[in-house]
Amino acid sequence: MSAQLAPEDVLTDEGYAVVATAEDLHVTFRRNGKAIHALRGISLEIRRGEILGLVGESGSGKSVLGLTLLGLHGAGATISGRATVRGRDMVSATDAERRAVRVAHLGAVFQDPMTSLNPTMRVGRQVAEAAGSDEEALRLLRLVGVPEAESRMSAFPHELSGGLRQRVMIAMAVAGNPDLVIADEPTTALDVTVQAQVLRLLRTLRDELGCSVLMITHDLGVAAQIADRVAVMYAGRLAELGESDAVLRSSAHPYTLGLMRSRLTLGVDRTRALPALPGEVPSPAAPQPGCAFSPRCSVAGPDCAETSPEPVEVEPGHHSACLRPLAVVRSTDTVSPVALTARAEPAGIDQDTAALSLRSVVKTFGVGKGFGRKRTLHALRGVSLQVAQGESVALVGESGSGKSTLLRVAAGLETADSGEVELSGGSRPQMVFQDSGASLTPWMTVEQILGERVRDLGRAARAAKVREALSLVGLPAEVGAARATQLSGGQRQRVCLARATIVPPPVLLCDEPTSALDVSLAASVINLIARLRRELGMSVLFVTHDLSVARVVADRIAVMYLGQIVEIGASDRVTSAPLHPYTRSLVSAVPDVGLTPVILPGEPASPLNPPSGCAFHPRCADATESCQDTELGLRLQRVANDDVDRVACINIDLSHVPTPVYITPKGA
Amino acid sequence: MAVAEPFVVPRPAWRRPLSLDLRAPRTWSIIGASLFAVMTLIALAAPLLSPHDPLVPVGIPLAAPGHGGFLLGSDSIGRDVLSRCLYGMRASWFAALVVIAGGFLIGGLVGLVAGSSGGWIDNLLMRITDGFLALPAPVLAIAVVASLGPSFTHTLIAVSVVWWPFYARIVRGEISKLAARPHVEAARLAGAGRVRIALRHLLPGALPAAVVTASLDVGNLVLALAGLSFLGLGQSAPAPELGADSARNLSLLLQQWWVPVVPGIAVAVLAVIANVAGDSVRNLIDPE
Repeated sequence: MSAQLAPEDVLTDEGYAVVATAEDLHVTFRRNGKAIHALRGISLEIRRGEILGLVGESGSGKSVLGLTLLGLHGAGATISGRATVRGRDMVSATDAERRAVRVAHLGAVFQDPMTSLNPTMRVGRQVAEAAGSDEEALRLLRLVGVPEAESRMSAFPHELSGGLRQRVMIAMAVAGNPDLVIADEPTTALDVTVQAQVLRLLRTLRDELGCSVLMITHDLGVAAQIADRVAVMYAGRLAELGESDAVLRSSAHPYTLGLMRSRLTLGVDRTRALPALPGEVPSPAAPQPGCAFSPRCSVAGPDCAETSPEPVEVEPGHHSACLRPLAVVRSTDTVSPVALTARAEPAGIDQDTAALSLRSVVKTFGVGKGFGRKRTLHALRGVSLQVAQGESVALVGESGSGKSTLLRVAAGLETADSGEVELSGGSRPQMVFQDSGASLTPWMTVEQILGERVRDLGRAARAAKVREALSLVGLPAEVGAARATQLSGGQRQRVCLARATIVPPPVLLCDEPTSALDVSLAASVINLIARLRRELGMSVLFVTHDLSVARVVADRIAVMYLGQIVEIGASDRVTSAPLHPYTRSLVSAVPDVGLTPVILPGEPASPLNPPSGCAFHPRCADATESCQDTELGLRLQRVANDDVDRVACINIDLSHVPTPVYITPKGA
Repeated sequence: MAVAEPFVVPRPAWRRPLSLDLRAPRTWSIIGASLFAVMTLIALAAPLLSPHDPLVPVGIPLAAPGHGGFLLGSDSIGRDVLSRCLYGMRASWFAALVVIAGGFLIGGLVGLVAGSSGGWIDNLLMRITDGFLALPAPVLAIAVVASLGPSFTHTLIAVSVVWWPFYARIVRGEISKLAARPHVEAARLAGAGRVRIALRHLLPGALPAAVVTASLDVGNLVLALAGLSFLGLGQSAPAPELGADSARNLSLLLQQWWVPVVPGIAVAVLAVIANVAGDSVRNLIDPE
């Protein structure tokens, strides 16, 4: 294989306490002639056998830190400081030395296993390349829980599901017993139930192999599930570092406090606007003479803009980089008081008028082109759903559940094979897409894009209308002259909302509008959607994979599995007292501070070949013989003759609705 | 919402003031791209730049370069080689631009219609395009000239017929890539019709790739047309043309080398200028 370490260089396995360190590490890239300060002086250590959660929003430098530790920072970066692994500096080392350290001590897992695995090579060979032999590869695949590992050895990456691919990556990462596994957002692309499985796997592997794990994630919940210690990064510097419980439950830095308060959980008070951090993450190109968080911080003073705070120990083992005393930070509300105003009374819902009604909608797609066998993808297998005037309904499900197809059918972007789609008033619904940047025409200005919906107006009237729409979503009029690439992610999503509401539609369709946004921005976009809905009297159909988002935005939640709704009901009831076994496991898989998830085995079945009977039965713990009956004819049934709650499961007692647990505002 | 921060729209690159910083790669790209304009000006000004009439014998035949008042010598009947080359370059340059403009328009239209409609229209148009792509350019040119009679126009038609399919493919590829983006669906939901979507939401995105291809193509066309002219498929006898001038006088190569070689060098110079300019345009439009 590659360069071997000389025998005297190999550190003994015994007698080290710290696997890796960053010492005053600065990393700067040049992009388009601009200096991008990815890391601005960060120091931390990863201890032997610990899982360190490295948490930060986009642009915080968390991934760059991981790459620098791996020695994969590239030749174009200007680096000062040290990044050591087992005492060897990966910054000053030669390529061969770095490679030797990687082989001997490091493993890596990245977000997208499809691009990290070689698509032309069977996975068995790829793992064997890292592990040294086929036998070892097979042992590793079994270790990471790949079912039927022998036959999977000869599979190509594209033949495996996302979760299995990530397990293969993990098998390669732990080959050769590394001292440190660097996992960069390893679960971000996975479904919630699969994410819970992979997180548990990483923890188990750590316990069995004794390696350390650097878990890089944007999700505080994920960090809380797996990490022993958590490091919070902001704008290339360390904001807070300490034991997970200390950092997440009694945060010491205003940024962590703000993140914890603005993040969505199943326990958020959904009757009021979500607390949101004001402003956005600073550009990594901007110079930061002082504390980078100070413009967004409610306890910042003039000194904060000038002095860059170093992390100091505020409690034993708990460091925070803030100039203000701990007592001041904790006693102040760090999130914007503007955003904390009540969300006012719920929007006026007219239960008798349906704004959107879908009846027995079926949609299939033909997949496979050319000479290959044509197969049918069953995206929607008979879905009926009514959204009342002014009501908000969330569609929740994992990939392949058909939730986005249902939204597109409602939008008229896809035509149903059978079934009816009825819109009140007949006017088009409007849609907000997940990738807000891609949903804006790149060469058109915001004003031109918004103007597309009001083309029948004169030039002056159109300009006035655009300004009005922009101000409704909280954007200054100058944004009208910008193109999509000149806007930040949060601004783009606001522009998309402005386009959707410049002429208020009867129904606003939202396709995961917050899943690409950072925690602090997601909350403000959700607040904005709620405010627009109330002010403009729109109905909302909101697709999301995240139950905690669904719970906050929707009056009712419909849970979808393989093209069917398996449960629908009031948001609080579905999330606090779920009936269907699938909903139950979804609820328990939401990663959160202080929760242990119930792991659902397997992955969603393929919509190319839905299981017979109840599609969920292969993964269901309560499944009986009759659940796989092809003649099952499973339908949504009323629970206790209630009009709101319905569930499609034959093993559920339908005689009473469980009592929802309403979350009461803290301190109320 | 919370804080309305001042928002300033940065100027797009092409609106920024021209800098004359010779270390910046952009400056060199601009200088390179302007070669297109310089060459077009030279072609336009050929009658002014030429010392003599290219068609009329003006001095002793076969004068060596520098002798008898001929900077690049004279040909077998005493015409000025320099003047014939300047006029020949003018003809080649404009012919290349005409073929490219034609290919750009026809191919662009076919590609736009195919890419934005999709389905059977796309399939039909692209199969037709493939059919044209399969035609061999010289054979087709010979066939056209043989059936319609030798004429420069006929050669241009023949070359155009085999040239537009490249543009159709490039534009269609770019358009169908763009058509898969959600911004097109958003435009549909905003009430834009098919034509509006094609012209406003698709076409501008395909133009950079097509312009880059076109500017890199000028050199190829200069060479292709010179080749056809060399084979006798260009303008008829007295007209000054680089390929034909070189071919007709090949027998003089060993004695009066300048008569066949200078037009050949002129072709090479033209192709190099076109390629340098084309590369610069590509660097300006697509710095990756």
